[in-house]
Amino acid sequence: MNFTVVNKQVCVDNVRIIGVTSSSVFLVGDTDSISLSSVFDTPPESLIIGPFVPLSRS
Amino acid sequence: MFKRTSIVNKIHVTDVSLNSVFEIGDSWSIKPRANALAVQREFERFYGDEGDFDAYPIFTMPLPKALINEHINFTRVNDSSSIYVNKIDITSVSASGVLLIGSTKVIDAESRVKHIRQLQGDPNSDIGPSNNVNAKA
Repeated sequence: MNFTVVNKQVCVDNVRIIGVTSSSVFLVGDTDSISLSSVFDTPPESLIIGPFVPLSRS
Repeated sequence: MFKRTSIVNKIHVTDVSLNSVFEIGDSWSIKPRANALAVQREFERFYGDEGDFDAYPIFTMPLPKALINEHINFTRVNDSSSIYVNKIDITSVSASGVLLIGSTKVIDAESRVKHIRQLQGDPNSDIGPSNNVNAKA
């Protein structure tokens, strides 16, 4: 497959961002490849009700 | 092929945290990794040494990667030699976030967050914990 990109002039005045978070990218420039993964786990088991027990320590 | 130059007149960043990258200039590859246990408790009690990432498979499980088998003839023609941005205002870059002014070859970011919520429950109640949650919700 042949893939050609022609980059013309880019001129941006103002950028306002609250958050770039959890494997996100804000790029002013060029890159060949971007690979982003974000895992977010909130299963029902993660809700613990009862007497306080500290988390296991490493 | 000549490289493009990134020109930013003014940038304001308030917070860069949790294995994030804020880079001005070119690089070869950027690979940030962030692991987090996000614990919410009904009461304020936190010991500094709590938590073990090995106890939760989410932090060790392999993640699926996009495999590109097709060969691509990639041609880039840069008609303009620069990318210009006047002003950037970013409040926060967090959890393997990447803020790059410049060029690179590879960006490979990964963040894993495990949420745990601990509630006290009602010691005087004889209904089960799960019913108790519904009563609160």
